[in-house]
Amino acid sequence: MSVLSKKEYRPYYFIAPLLVFICLFILLPIVGTLFTSLMRDVTFLPQKFIFLGNYSDLLRDEGFWRSMRFTLFFIAVAVPLEMLLGTAFAALLDMELPMRGFLRACVLIPWAIPSAISAKIWQLIYNYSYGLANFLITHLGLSQGPVNWLGSEGGAFAAIVIADVWKTAPFVTLLVLAGLQAVPHDLRLQAKIDRANFAQIFFRVTLPLIKPVLLVALLFRTIDSLRIFDVIYVLTNGGPGGSTASASLYAYKYFLGGDFGYGSAVSVLLFAVAFGMSCLYVKVSKFESEI
Amino acid sequence: MSFMNLKLLLPLFLAFALAAGCAPEKKELVFAVGGAPSELDEWESVIEDFSREKGIKARLLRQPTDSDQRRQGILIPLKARVRNPDVFLMDIAWIGQFAASGWLEDLNPYINKEGYDLGKFWKNILDSADTFGGELVAMPVYIDAGVLYYRRDLLEKYGVKKVPEHWDEFIAVAARIQEKERAQNPKFFAFVWQGAQYEGLVCDFLEFATMEGGGIGLSGGKIKLDTPANRAAAGLMRDLIFKHKISPPNVFTDMKEEEARLFFQSGNALFERNWPYAWGLHQAGDSPVKGKVGIARIPAFPGRSSVSTLGGWHIGISRFSDAKSEAWEFLKYALSRGTQKKLSLALGWNPARKDVYSDPEVLAKYPHFRALSEVFSGAKSRPQLPYYTQVSDVLQRYLNSAVAAKTDPASAFGSAEKEINAMMERYK
Repeated sequence: MSVLSKKEYRPYYFIAPLLVFICLFILLPIVGTLFTSLMRDVTFLPQKFIFLGNYSDLLRDEGFWRSMRFTLFFIAVAVPLEMLLGTAFAALLDMELPMRGFLRACVLIPWAIPSAISAKIWQLIYNYSYGLANFLITHLGLSQGPVNWLGSEGGAFAAIVIADVWKTAPFVTLLVLAGLQAVPHDLRLQAKIDRANFAQIFFRVTLPLIKPVLLVALLFRTIDSLRIFDVIYVLTNGGPGGSTASASLYAYKYFLGGDFGYGSAVSVLLFAVAFGMSCLYVKVSKFESEI
Repeated sequence: MSFMNLKLLLPLFLAFALAAGCAPEKKELVFAVGGAPSELDEWESVIEDFSREKGIKARLLRQPTDSDQRRQGILIPLKARVRNPDVFLMDIAWIGQFAASGWLEDLNPYINKEGYDLGKFWKNILDSADTFGGELVAMPVYIDAGVLYYRRDLLEKYGVKKVPEHWDEFIAVAARIQEKERAQNPKFFAFVWQGAQYEGLVCDFLEFATMEGGGIGLSGGKIKLDTPANRAAAGLMRDLIFKHKISPPNVFTDMKEEEARLFFQSGNALFERNWPYAWGLHQAGDSPVKGKVGIARIPAFPGRSSVSTLGGWHIGISRFSDAKSEAWEFLKYALSRGTQKKLSLALGWNPARKDVYSDPEVLAKYPHFRALSEVFSGAKSRPQLPYYTQVSDVLQRYLNSAVAAKTDPASAFGSAEKEINAMMERYK
């Protein structure tokens, strides 16, 4: 890239505003957080540079590891479900159905509702004394008495996964549907002529062609799940017994208590994991060359 | 954006900047407060009256209802050392952190200069909650302390003459009435309280831990939690749900103040631990338990006396305020007998001033105030640590786990102690 002609410079003018925006609102806060994480930045103590002090404390902090384990486990369960359901819905909505436009709009509704509000709705559904879930299972005779959905670690975990999948599977649907529509119709027609059945067409023809889109969706969902906060903040606030405290919720609690350095260190570690995952995906998928 | 627009915008921007810079700075007092819409409306009228009477321009900064969000909304500007808000309400549990951070103006010089009478306020509250390192950093605006609500009609129906004062008797009465009431109402549970993983759980726990050596012990920079008294308290909380089965199983998942209040208010409970705010709502026109509720002290272990955790909201002045004397005027106004009475009558709040409790008009509306003023003088405040939030956060986690019968109390307190002590090392 030694000498660029005037024409070749032109794209850079166009992306300049975006770059400025990214630097100001994304890069700067990241650097700032990184800097804060190296300080003892506690409101009630003198500020002091402690280099990796916060990180070495974090490594010995059982509460932090617990929240990290929860977050990773949550990703491992929620993201595959979102991908599976999202792709299935996309495949359905890609077919010639009556009222397809209406159905497509319906699928997007959960995605359009702010997380905090949808989490509140789910909280009402799971409520022990007046929730819909208990109303249904007791009236359908599935259970003797009401179930305390958010009371056990497993129950609370499942409740969070369901609420999150409900909300974010439509996002996957949206991306995959766009990918599906870019698959040339002729290819599938050709496969049909060759007597391939529905499953064969989907797995041998369509799926490989939408792989890049799937990877993008996977990347977005993984990173998004890594910083899960709002659903948990509203639904369980980390309970019962701290079993559903995600890493961002853990960081938030420290910010609230006035320990900005420690909270920042948690954020930086989360960022590092997210960044590492992105790099891994990009490398595995080589999607640079494919897109 | 085209250059054409930019050329237009720039002079406009400069003109605004100039106007802002040159305009004579008019001090405006900003008072940050959150709460239910009705509370904010009441504050709005207080601040209007204040502006009119004192000729000081003042404005309300409306905050959300959620107390964590209210805290965040004050914490960020104070951390950034900006001059607004000038004056704000703090939950009693934040005062330690705010004061240790050097964010709160010492009120002693103002009080000494004017000879302001502190005798109108409870000394135990001023000393334990509002004094930090010899400075008076806040003043109570309204007071809370945990109380026990009971269904007077049900106790009468089953021939219970006196509200039980000790746990063994309490459990026996509760279990007996629950069994009988279940016949008509299968949803009935005898006792509801706050057991979800949040600050309220710690408040309830401190009230249960009435035995010698109970509560959050501190000595020599170490925390002491794993004591027989605390084990007994957490064990009792667990047993109320799992052994005696007189508290519903969702106590430890989602029961906070409002959940407990609604449960009791719908007529499904015999006893309820809550703050005094619930009284007004229990007695409201549409309440099914209206006229059937009484207030008593929370039971204690045999041979011990009842303990209430002190709650409530306190007013403080920002050290970074540019209108401190105006803020002091507002503080005095908010704590004046007139305002305190007005807020109390309108919102059912428990005034911080003792003299309002003997006001005939207030007593006519809230006869239960007589019982409360006795509770307040014996109420205990939570430890005033700058990092109390972090301590409480760890404690909430392990305590919730013990109440949920997932961890036995001894190992829960042992682990909590270890984690908190490691954390305290960081704040030395």
